[in-house]
Amino acid sequence: MRKDAYPEDTGLDYLEMAKGKEPQGKEAQPPVQTDFKLIGRPTPRIDGHLVVTGRAKYTHDIFFKDMLYAKILRSPHASAEITSIDLSAARSLPGVKAVLPLKEGRVKYEGEQIAAVAAVDENTAEEALRLISVEYKVLPHVVSPEKAMAEGAPRVHDSANVEKLNEYSRGNIDQGFAEAEVTFERTYRTAIEIHHPVETHASIAKWDEDALTVWDSTQAIFSVRDGLARALGIPATKVRVIKMYMGGGFGSKLSFNEHTVAAARLAKEAGRPVKIMLSRKENSLCVGNRPSTRITIKGGAKKDGTLTALSLKNYTCGGVARGNSGSEPLIDIYKCPNVKVEELTVYTNTGGGRATRAPGHVQGTFALEGFMEEFAAELGLDPLEFRRKNYTTSNLGGTGIVYSSKGLDKCYDIGAQKIGWDRRNKRPGDGQGKKRRGLGMGSQIWWGAGVPGTLADIKLHRDGSVEAVSGTQDIGCGTRTYMATIAAETLGLEPQDITVKIGDTTYPWAPISGGSLTAPSVGPAVRDAALKAADHLKDMAAKKLNVPAADIVLAGKKLYDKNHPENAIVFKDLVGQLSRETVFHGERADLPAGFAYNTFGAHFAEVEVDTETGRISVLKHVAVHEVGRILNTLTAESQVVGGITQGISTALFEERVIDESLGKMVNPNLQTYKIATSMDMPEIVPLFVDLADPRINNLGNKGLGEPPRIPSSAAVANAVYNAIGVHLREIPMTPDKVLKALRDKEAGS
Amino acid sequence: MEKATKKKSRTVTRRAFLQGLGGGAAGAALATRIRGQAGGVGQAGVTLSPALSQKSINFKVNGKSLSVDVEPRESLLEVLREKLKLTGAKKTCGRGECGGCTVLIDGQAVYSCLFPAVRADGKQVITVEGLAEGDRLHPVQQAFIEKDGYQCGYCTPGFIMSSVALLNDIPAPSPEQIKAGLSGNLCRCGNYVKIYEAVASASQKMRKD
Amino acid sequence: MKNFEWTEPQTVEQALAWLAKANGKAVLMAGGTDLFTEIKETVVEPDLVIDLKSIPGLASIQKDEAGIRIGALTPVAALAADAMIKRDYSGLSEAAGSLATPQLRNVGTVGGNLCQRPRCWYYRDAQMVCRKKGGSQCFAAKGRNKYHAIFGGGICHIVYPSDLAPMLIALDAQVTVSSPRGERSLPLGEFYALPSKNVRRENVLATDELVREVKLPLAKKGTRSAYVKLKERETWDFALVSAAVRGTVSGGGLGEAAIVLGGVAPIPWRLGKTEAALKGKKLSETVIKEALRADLQEARPLEENGYKLQLVEAAVTRALMSLARG
Repeated sequence: MRKDAYPEDTGLDYLEMAKGKEPQGKEAQPPVQTDFKLIGRPTPRIDGHLVVTGRAKYTHDIFFKDMLYAKILRSPHASAEITSIDLSAARSLPGVKAVLPLKEGRVKYEGEQIAAVAAVDENTAEEALRLISVEYKVLPHVVSPEKAMAEGAPRVHDSANVEKLNEYSRGNIDQGFAEAEVTFERTYRTAIEIHHPVETHASIAKWDEDALTVWDSTQAIFSVRDGLARALGIPATKVRVIKMYMGGGFGSKLSFNEHTVAAARLAKEAGRPVKIMLSRKENSLCVGNRPSTRITIKGGAKKDGTLTALSLKNYTCGGVARGNSGSEPLIDIYKCPNVKVEELTVYTNTGGGRATRAPGHVQGTFALEGFMEEFAAELGLDPLEFRRKNYTTSNLGGTGIVYSSKGLDKCYDIGAQKIGWDRRNKRPGDGQGKKRRGLGMGSQIWWGAGVPGTLADIKLHRDGSVEAVSGTQDIGCGTRTYMATIAAETLGLEPQDITVKIGDTTYPWAPISGGSLTAPSVGPAVRDAALKAADHLKDMAAKKLNVPAADIVLAGKKLYDKNHPENAIVFKDLVGQLSRETVFHGERADLPAGFAYNTFGAHFAEVEVDTETGRISVLKHVAVHEVGRILNTLTAESQVVGGITQGISTALFEERVIDESLGKMVNPNLQTYKIATSMDMPEIVPLFVDLADPRINNLGNKGLGEPPRIPSSAAVANAVYNAIGVHLREIPMTPDKVLKALRDKEAGS
Repeated sequence: MEKATKKKSRTVTRRAFLQGLGGGAAGAALATRIRGQAGGVGQAGVTLSPALSQKSINFKVNGKSLSVDVEPRESLLEVLREKLKLTGAKKTCGRGECGGCTVLIDGQAVYSCLFPAVRADGKQVITVEGLAEGDRLHPVQQAFIEKDGYQCGYCTPGFIMSSVALLNDIPAPSPEQIKAGLSGNLCRCGNYVKIYEAVASASQKMRKD
Repeated sequence: MKNFEWTEPQTVEQALAWLAKANGKAVLMAGGTDLFTEIKETVVEPDLVIDLKSIPGLASIQKDEAGIRIGALTPVAALAADAMIKRDYSGLSEAAGSLATPQLRNVGTVGGNLCQRPRCWYYRDAQMVCRKKGGSQCFAAKGRNKYHAIFGGGICHIVYPSDLAPMLIALDAQVTVSSPRGERSLPLGEFYALPSKNVRRENVLATDELVREVKLPLAKKGTRSAYVKLKERETWDFALVSAAVRGTVSGGGLGEAAIVLGGVAPIPWRLGKTEAALKGKKLSETVIKEALRADLQEARPLEENGYKLQLVEAAVTRALMSLARG
């Protein structure tokens, strides 16, 4: 069973949720409607007025009377033993209301928490930290995976630094290579990527007797609630977590955090609410990152491009936590009967990795898609045709079950046409001149079925107002808006008529907002509840209008006889006749068995490489995604634009830089950890193959959050390869690396 | 003139300064113009300006005249967020490396996290909360909604202020000028190209009206 | 952050008097965009900050028969937008427009830019007490040094991060420095000093001196200037390597020229040998690359920054060829 574990206990296995539980459902969902009026249109965000006026309240923006500010003292050493800690001076500083030691003994990374203080303002809290004196016995550290793998390296944990992470095989790999007419092997490397959401992690803890309420910048209110309850040793019934708005997470906010536990404990000791806001430096060091990978792929194929064998070996590094498996794309997307995968994780004394927008798939796709591009050149084939040659409609490379829907071929067609695929260099590096242009592409696969059992309510008030309620999160994807749209569509109303309530653990359960789970979980749950409400209203209207319920239509804020539209009752009036406010409970149903549920896409990039300065400019980036039915084209486009931007940013700029001898990060800020700016943007063309999946749920939609992030760096790197004739096989592709690759190529030829 | 609520005051005595110490006893605040010691006389008989441990600043925020006591170490951002509870401008890095704190000071876009509050005396500050007129959104704000110029929305107030400054300066910017005008704001969700569309759309609307 | 006191002198004399009185415990704040960051990082912990913006008359760009006078408190944005500068000193306009971001240029000043502290990531970390902060080693020497110096290193390997400095030096700028002893003027090229002179500072200002203005000679007819800045990101990035050039190009030959590099040394780095080799020569890429060899031979790259040599070639070539095109 493939499994990536994360340092914080989420209480739920993240990847299991993303992949979807083993489908239990026997029947297909009701036929998916196609003639929606609202769903699938571009709908502006219903809460836009709050965000653009600065009135939306993020956790950083919330204040309470008597609130204290907490700060955490963190280890400056990568590896050390705490020999003594003296909190007395901090405790006596005026304005300090609580001080807690958080750690004893062994410290394993720069940034690990040591102690926490709560004070009347941030400056006092900072001063208190300065007054804490800690004696460390500094121990040998190891911060690079290569060194960690070497004989005699200092041990990060009590066990070996290298540990098995994942294995997989099918067919007979030796036979597969024996059958090949051409074999090819390459190694690709991806760097550590830091999430850097613009809102740093923040929590506010407030006790009311023995009940705790926490406002948290989180993608996972239920995980935070349950994790906090466990950490504090109190029942989950005594904890409530609220998240109204958050400034990004990208996976770094998918579970409860140690600093939130600290805030809760400080609040208990001080008897006052405590707010903690991490600094940008803390966000750089200790709330997660995308693990690095070194992936070696070996492939065998016939001369016509038919794959006969694929093997993958991955060394991945997630600091003190486990790294990422990156083999799923290779196992699944291309037809190949013989596959062998071996993945190992390497520990180092650095901040632990966490889920980062499509964990493992981004890295694995960079390697796989780079490999396909280079192998195609070796075979003398068009890289797109090479991919098409190995297309399959069943998962596990054609050896598994059929995909419920797969529009990847259409993504290829549309994307190739939009970028002008035939403009590429027929042979990589064919161009002339100091500035060389090239085209490259990448295929994308991810899950996207959502989580059966997700709950949502529709509540009808007697004054005609309607609530759509679910304990889900809107992390910027527009969840509120499509919940309103779905409810409005079903009830014949407008999105503005729906009051959406989310982000509170007192609401019905919904999964974490990660893994591209939200839209295919919450959307169908809302739809289910709204359909139940609609059925109930139809029954009521049928009696009033003296017409069978099956003939009643909800539209235009009315219910009417479809054969005699003038025989109608206004929605508000009908609902006014309910005996009391009425709740309809919806649930995202199970997935029909026997099918694989995945999302697909293809990115095509055009770059220009300045061979004298090593600068890469991305000129154009086309993305075509098939994620089932699109709920809101306006916000869906933004998801794709964002995934492309992040992919360009990591392809060209982002690198966590560690000084090996000191064991310290030298760029824990946004000036030297470089994120793409507005001036780095190409022309971006986001497109969809909008076809509803016939059985996945009552809307036919799949998740979109991660797909656009997955092939974006790969497409850019492949375009660079096409431009200059050498694949850097490593990101970020900074000028120094580009110039070196060009020099090496020159020397080689 | 409205007196904003003051959280606390710190007084550094002259003796404490010369000893190189900071900090001091908290005390209740009075609305005096200048606290701290007079400067005295320096070399060559030059009268020194007073050394202030606190300053009462009189400035306009979103058109409203305010008086606030601030410490020299406070940034304008802290004053806006913590004292005035105007939380539109965000503290995203505190180092002028991301633009999330952008406000307008006398019409210019500025990182409020690096702007000492003591310097806000006599200035006109506009934050994102000051753009709309009642329920009527500023065309830039409206365009951000219509064109989906944001995702998580956290960088949005900063971008909106930079956009307003840009359009005040260049009412009909080219695409290149839009990119350059917004080049001091980071969007981690990566929505830049949607933001340009919003700004281009706002600029058209503003020129029509 | 520790608290500090704040003073608003009304004259340069008052500011200087405070500097002297504070005896090393005070700092001058111009725009504050660099200084405030250092204070927040506790790299600098002053007891007193002297506000230069409260002194009237220090922010202006004036032209008279002697040349151009740019007050030290002139915002960089004003310099970048000035039509006369754009016309007669186009390289300076480019340099000013290339730095940082609109928000930083609105607040940052010419004087502040010329006196900014280095961006070395070891220097900027208060926990790492390197030589520049009174310690006994340079962490960059054997550490992470892709952005560090290829010339002039030794005991310290910072690069001077200013864009205005190399360009102003190439334009023969003079800097006027005020002190209790009066005013003195010196070529900007002599304002910066190698770490071997005093590793704690990047320039020759005494502790009781401040920069008051920058002066440029009148632009000679036919003289052009250009600034090429090579970076990683398209904007909001210090130079990996930059080339500031000034020269006359006539009949295809390069007249008297100045070539000054940024991003390669602890001080703006003048390529005297290249200038001499190019004098009178008709410019072409081959000629320029050949002329650069002598200066480049003096480079002492570190483990990770050898790529800068290629960037020097590219930056200087592009800057000079743009002069030729005019």
